[in-house]
Amino acid sequence: MQMDALINLAVSLLTTVSILVIISIGLAVVFGMMGVINLAHGEFLMLGAFFTLSGYRAGLNIWLAMIVAALGVGLVGLLVERLLIQFLYGRLAATMLATWGLSLILVQVVVLIYGPSTQGLRTPLGTMRVGDYSMSQYNLLLIAVAVALLGLVFVVFTRTKYGTKARAATQLPHMAAAVGVNAKMTNMLTFAFGATLAGAAGALLAPVAGVLPGMGQAYVGRAFMTVVVGGPGVLTGTASSAALLGTVDSVVSNAFTSFLGTAALLLVAIVLLRFLPTGISGRSGRQL
Amino acid sequence: MSNTGTRDRVKDWVRTAGRVPREALYLAVIATVVLAVTGALPEFRAYEWTLWAIFGLLAASFAFVWGHAGIFSFGQAAFFGIGAYAYGAAGINLSPATGETLTALLLGTLVAGIAAAMLGYFIFFGSVGDVYVAIITLAVTLVLLTVMSSTADPKYHVGDALLGGYNGMAGIPPLMLRAGTALDTRQMFAFSVILAAAVALLLNILRRRPFGRILAGLRENETRTQLLGYDVRRYKLGAFTAAGLVAGLAGSLYSAWGMFVNPSVFTLQQAALVAIWVLVGGRNSLLGAFVGVALVQGLSTALGGSGDTWTPIILGSVLILVVLLLPDGVVPSGLRAVSNVAPWVASHRLPRTVRSRLLQRESTELRDVLAARSGQFKPKRLEGQGLVKHFGGVKALNGVDLRVDAGSVRALIGPNGAGKSTCFNLLVGRYAPTEGHVRLDDDDVTRLRPDQRAAMGIGIKMQVPSYYGALSVFENLWLASFAALGKVEDSNRQALRVLRWLGMDDRASLDASALSHGEHQWLEIGMVVAGAPSVMLLDEPTAGMTREETHKTVDMIRDMSQFTTVVVVEHDMEFLRQLDAPVTMFHQGLVFAEGSIEELRKDERVLDTYLGRRPSIDAAG
Repeated sequence: MQMDALINLAVSLLTTVSILVIISIGLAVVFGMMGVINLAHGEFLMLGAFFTLSGYRAGLNIWLAMIVAALGVGLVGLLVERLLIQFLYGRLAATMLATWGLSLILVQVVVLIYGPSTQGLRTPLGTMRVGDYSMSQYNLLLIAVAVALLGLVFVVFTRTKYGTKARAATQLPHMAAAVGVNAKMTNMLTFAFGATLAGAAGALLAPVAGVLPGMGQAYVGRAFMTVVVGGPGVLTGTASSAALLGTVDSVVSNAFTSFLGTAALLLVAIVLLRFLPTGISGRSGRQL
Repeated sequence: MSNTGTRDRVKDWVRTAGRVPREALYLAVIATVVLAVTGALPEFRAYEWTLWAIFGLLAASFAFVWGHAGIFSFGQAAFFGIGAYAYGAAGINLSPATGETLTALLLGTLVAGIAAAMLGYFIFFGSVGDVYVAIITLAVTLVLLTVMSSTADPKYHVGDALLGGYNGMAGIPPLMLRAGTALDTRQMFAFSVILAAAVALLLNILRRRPFGRILAGLRENETRTQLLGYDVRRYKLGAFTAAGLVAGLAGSLYSAWGMFVNPSVFTLQQAALVAIWVLVGGRNSLLGAFVGVALVQGLSTALGGSGDTWTPIILGSVLILVVLLLPDGVVPSGLRAVSNVAPWVASHRLPRTVRSRLLQRESTELRDVLAARSGQFKPKRLEGQGLVKHFGGVKALNGVDLRVDAGSVRALIGPNGAGKSTCFNLLVGRYAPTEGHVRLDDDDVTRLRPDQRAAMGIGIKMQVPSYYGALSVFENLWLASFAALGKVEDSNRQALRVLRWLGMDDRASLDASALSHGEHQWLEIGMVVAGAPSVMLLDEPTAGMTREETHKTVDMIRDMSQFTTVVVVEHDMEFLRQLDAPVTMFHQGLVFAEGSIEELRKDERVLDTYLGRRPSIDAAG
């Protein structure tokens, strides 16, 4: 194989893996740190895309629009935690049902505001040529951002006061409370942080995916499988399982069609769980 | 159905098999009524109510798998959709040749059942946690949505049936029972309602059968169920598959009813509807599933035209409000409000009919309890050889040899962290040892799961209370008996014998969660005894007991020790003195000393590390 073809393949694979990391890191934070399953994660992502769209149309620079959108979704997450999630801690099925209801509502509200059709956003940055192939610079950016997001999560949870408290509250909630960690506050912040990451995912995908109210459903299944296969380790789990599942998806999609790639991802995930029921990072326990 | 009084509950449980079940009567009544009213029904009503019956069946499958078996699965909508597509494909391909679609109905059901069984195998035999079950079924549903929506190209087909992508599969034949004649709207209504009722009643019978009772136990306490000797993975898989079959049948009927199916059956909104129906009707009631469908669908029909825009918002709000305000379901909460106005005094004794029929014949002798496991029961030797267990860097056990001969009693003592509980858990099979072997007589059981060890005759009472809180005392003992005996009648009698031996027959119908602390411990000892084990392992059976209660417990264990091998972990020195059995003392992950309690009391090292000594006069002076 030619060098340029090889590079092209590698970039396409890394892009798939990076997108998996981007769409699942927020979910992984909320699930790994709080044990909460947020079924509205896909809709948080969708909101991030629409906020970006609105910001851009209102005249903001595209990058600024993305940052504002992510923070906006974080605010939504904060409200959701205060109004809904906080009453449901420890009730797994109830949390799922309630966030499920929330996702139905959010989709429809966005339909009412923006209409049901797909909206486009021009892909920023140009393309560059590598040998006979042209590749989108934005994809390269996505790869860099995925790494940066993992780094951000690492820094937030290991280098900040909040992060230490959040990890303490995860490992031993009673002990953390006994030494003065305000669990209410940490939970609120963690959920909002997860929502911000979901919003960022939506913002980043807006230029390359169709922005439409139902777009959350298209991603949330893959995001969940990535988190499940990854297990409780937010960083190690997400990174390793995104690498594995992304490779499967990318290879099968290139060889056949993209929906077979999605199906293969699911199949591999299910078979893997038969042998690693707590996920790739399950053995090492709950840590980053 | 589930809200009958406490008296009826036990009567129901002891009801003998082989009689014509009362469900047959219900079905006859329903069939008669349906056949009588069908002719008078306007055609559009018949058409609408057929759909309600089909949805009711789908809801019942979810109520069964979630409400009864405790498995929260998003998969019911997926299996419904698989059934619908399978009926369509089979009907389009087969009906031109055969002229009927009953085969297609059967195939649709089967395909969904097989899909459920395969998915269930990977989920349950991997022993993934409850959270993951929900997520995996959700992901499967979403992926099916993506995949089925991407099949617009004519190259995606099953025989003559085009999958049709987002537009769906068209030209599906209606239900034809006999060659060439399709059911008309009213016939379809009668057929669907009676079939749905029959299947739902069948599920209800299943809930009463041992299979269903074990599922109830699983829902209440999975660990306990496994320790009793049930292979929980098989039962979960069974429940999941049964629910998948029922959902597939509903899907097949749906596809025959509408003669069309598209990927919207795999959407989250469809899956949410199933949950809403069940939440409204009450998650543990099969009848409630149908009531929930009628209420929700009736309401959304009544809301009429604006439905499409506002439906998701209303559905979402209902989900959130029900979860926040009425977690037990709308209908059950309403019923409870009514019954709270007119309470009745429940008796916790066994119903008189049950007492006279069964109880008086049963002896209270432990010998008879243990002999119930015919042929198999004999005390066995339990041995740990060179047991080592490390948790990461923590060395909990450093090479323990422990041999308890058949028919003897052994007490394990030691300070906190000495390795007693770790050793106990290795013997039970909750942990695998890092090194070493566990033997039961001459069998090496080191690699066996707890339920497999239980089946070989190891009975376990854990340190942490572990019973079925929402089931009655009798039901707790019954599940323990059935695990060992495998026959309904034998288990009824065994449970009653143990109840008598415990001296708790006036507690039979009480929820186990309502017992006092000491009674909980006895109930758990009873559950161990009911299995007629060859070795009994009891972890702190007298923790938190009063002096009198401890005394009674010692009597029980003495009684047990006459017939079987007993290993007890205890802290209570008073208990140990009363028991007067050989003692093994652990210290720092090793066996520190062995002997009678009197011998240990004279051992200087034991006094220093564990028992302590009176302040000596010399030192005081």
